[in-house]
Amino acid sequence: MRQLMYLQAINEAFAEELERDEKVFLIGEGIQTGTFGTTTGLVDRFGPERIMDSPLAETAIAGVAVGASLMGYRPIADLMFSDFMYVCADEVLLKAAQWRLMQGGTQKLPCVFVANMGGYRKLGNEHSQCPYSMMLHSPGLKVVIPSNPYDAKGLLKTAIRDDNPVAFLYHKGLLPMMGDVPEDDYTIPFGVADVKREGTDVTVIATSFQLFWAMAAAEQLESKISVEVIDPRTLEPLDMDTIMTSVAKTGRVVIVDEDTERCGFAGELATQIMEQGFYELDAPIKRVCAKNYPIPGGIMEKFVLPQPEWVLQAIEDVMVD
Amino acid sequence: MKFGKEELLKLYTNLVRTRAFDKAAVKWLAIGKLLSFYHPAEGGEAPGVGGTTFLRPDDVISPHLRGHGLPHLIGKGVDPKYYLAEHCGRSTGAGNGLGGIHAVFEEFGLYGGAGTIGSCFPLSAGWGVAAKKNGREQVVVCFFGDGTSNRGTWHEAANMAANWKLPIVWVCENNGVAQYMPIKDAYPLNDLANLASAYGMPSAVVDGQDVLAVAEAVMSAVELARKGEGPSFIECKTSRFSAHGIGNPDKTHGIERTQEEIDELRKRDPVVLFRNSLLENGTLTPEDVQRIDQAAVDEVAAAEAFIDESPFPDDPSILDKALYAE
Repeated sequence: MRQLMYLQAINEAFAEELERDEKVFLIGEGIQTGTFGTTTGLVDRFGPERIMDSPLAETAIAGVAVGASLMGYRPIADLMFSDFMYVCADEVLLKAAQWRLMQGGTQKLPCVFVANMGGYRKLGNEHSQCPYSMMLHSPGLKVVIPSNPYDAKGLLKTAIRDDNPVAFLYHKGLLPMMGDVPEDDYTIPFGVADVKREGTDVTVIATSFQLFWAMAAAEQLESKISVEVIDPRTLEPLDMDTIMTSVAKTGRVVIVDEDTERCGFAGELATQIMEQGFYELDAPIKRVCAKNYPIPGGIMEKFVLPQPEWVLQAIEDVMVD
Repeated sequence: MKFGKEELLKLYTNLVRTRAFDKAAVKWLAIGKLLSFYHPAEGGEAPGVGGTTFLRPDDVISPHLRGHGLPHLIGKGVDPKYYLAEHCGRSTGAGNGLGGIHAVFEEFGLYGGAGTIGSCFPLSAGWGVAAKKNGREQVVVCFFGDGTSNRGTWHEAANMAANWKLPIVWVCENNGVAQYMPIKDAYPLNDLANLASAYGMPSAVVDGQDVLAVAEAVMSAVELARKGEGPSFIECKTSRFSAHGIGNPDKTHGIERTQEEIDELRKRDPVVLFRNSLLENGTLTPEDVQRIDQAAVDEVAAAEAFIDESPFPDDPSILDKALYAE
C-alpha cells in the first residue's frame, strides 16, 4: 500500500474534505505556508478565501470557527500549538463545546480545532502540553488523538464531517512517521479503540505518541509477559467496551499517557475501569504519565515526560503486585 | 436615513414595550418567577431598540447584557415571551429550559447568548466571516457595554474585522459605569469611539438617550457594511438608572451614588424624550400614547399568563439529546 508521512496524511484529509464540501474552510496563523507541513500547498488548490491566513489572534480564530459553524459553515481552526488553546479556552471550552446545550440543543456546530501537542522536542511548557484533560472536562467537545498516519487521515475526515465541535490533536513527534494510507475515501468512526497487539497478562492503554513506548516494551517483554496494547484513538467518545473486554481477560492494567499525571486522562480512565470492573482486577492500576511539574525546557524534560524505561518498569511492577 | 411615520411609531412602540418587559422582569425576579439574576435596562434602552428595529430579519445581532438583551430582541422582532419563559426556566422557553439567561432565535439572526463579557467580539467576527462568505449581504450588529470594551478580545476581533472588511457594526452602549467601575477610570480618553481609529474604522458618537439618533447612526453604518465597505463603530452615550444588577449596591469605587445624581440621569429618560418629541411634531397623539402603553401592559400580562401555564422541564434525557447533534 502507498506510504505517507503522518503530516501528509493530515494534509490529504484536509484536501479531500475541502474538495468534497465547499462549506469547509481553514483559518489559522501562517497556514498558507504551513508551520508543520499539515496545510502546505492547500492554498494553491483552494485559494486564500478557503485557506485563510489570519492575524496572530487565537481568540478571534477560534471565535470565527464557532460563529461561522453556527451559520452553516464547517470551519477548521488551526491553532498551531495546542498550548495556545489556553489563550482561547473561552471559545473552545465554553463556546464551541457547550453552546449547543446552553441554547436549547437545536443547533449544530461543525467546527474542528486542530493543533499539535506533546513534548520530547525540548520546547518547554508552552509548546509541549497535551491539554486534553481540560477539554474532556468541558462536556460537548469530542477529542481525537491519532497515533499513526492511517488513523490521522481517517479520523480527521470524520472530524470534519461531524456536526459537533471536535479537537483534533496530532502529536508533533509523529509528524515524519511513515505508514500505510489508502488513497481512497475512508473514514474511521469515533469511539472505536484499536487493539494494536493482543496479549493475555496485562492490558496497556497508551495514547498517541506513547504507543511507541508501549509497543516497544511489549516486544521487549514478550518472552516473559504477554502484553495487550490498546490505542483508544478518541478520548471522547471513549471505547470502554474494548478496554473492559481486555481488562476482563488480563486483570492487570497500565495506562501510559503523556499528559500531567494529576487530574489527567489516565486518572479518569483508571477510575472508570475500577468502577466498571473492580472485581476483574488482580492488581492496582498503574499510571505512567508526565510528572507533576511544568514541562521544563532543554534536556531536563526527560525527568518529567514519560520515558520508555518507565513503561517497562510499570508493566513489570503490575505483574508483581 | 429618514424614517416615515409608521417607522417612528414602530420605534416608539418597541421602546415602550422594552420598558414594560424590563419592569416586569425586575418584578418577576423579586417574586421568584424569573430565575437567576437580572441586570435592568431602565435608562439604557435606546441603543438596543434603536440599533435593531430597522435591521433585516436575517441580520445577525449579538445583544448586550443590559435587560439581558430584551431591548435588542424586541427591536429585532422576537416575541419576548419565549425569551422570558426561558429565563423563568420553563420548557416552552427559547432554549427548551436549558439556557436560562441564554436564548437562541436563529430565524431572527440571534444565534445565542454568551455569559463571559467580551466573548461577543470573537463570535461576531465569526458571524461576520460567514456573512461575508455567503454573499447574502447580511450584517452583524454587536452590542456591548463600556466595560466590555476593556477586554482584549476587542482588539483581536476589531483588527480582523477591519483587516478583512467584515460586515459588522460595533455598537457600544456606554452608560458610564461597568458594574461598579466608572469608565472614566477604566479608559484614558473621553470617547470609546477612539477604539475604532486604530483600525481605520469609521466611528460616530451619538446621544444614546435619543433612540432616533441611534437608529440613524446605526443604520447608516449598516448600509456601509452591507455595501461591502467594512465595519464601523457607534458609541452611544447612554445611562443606567439603577444598580448594575437587582440586589446589587448602587456604588462606584465603594461609594453610593447619590439621589441627586440619579435624579439628574432620570431627566433624560429615553422613553419620555422620544414621546415628547413625537407629540411635539404631531407624529403621536395623546390617544396613541395611551393605546401603545395599554398594548404593552396587555402584552406583558399575556406573556405572564403564557409563562405561568408553561411547565418546568423534568426529563433529564433532554440533556443527552442536547449535548451532541446526531
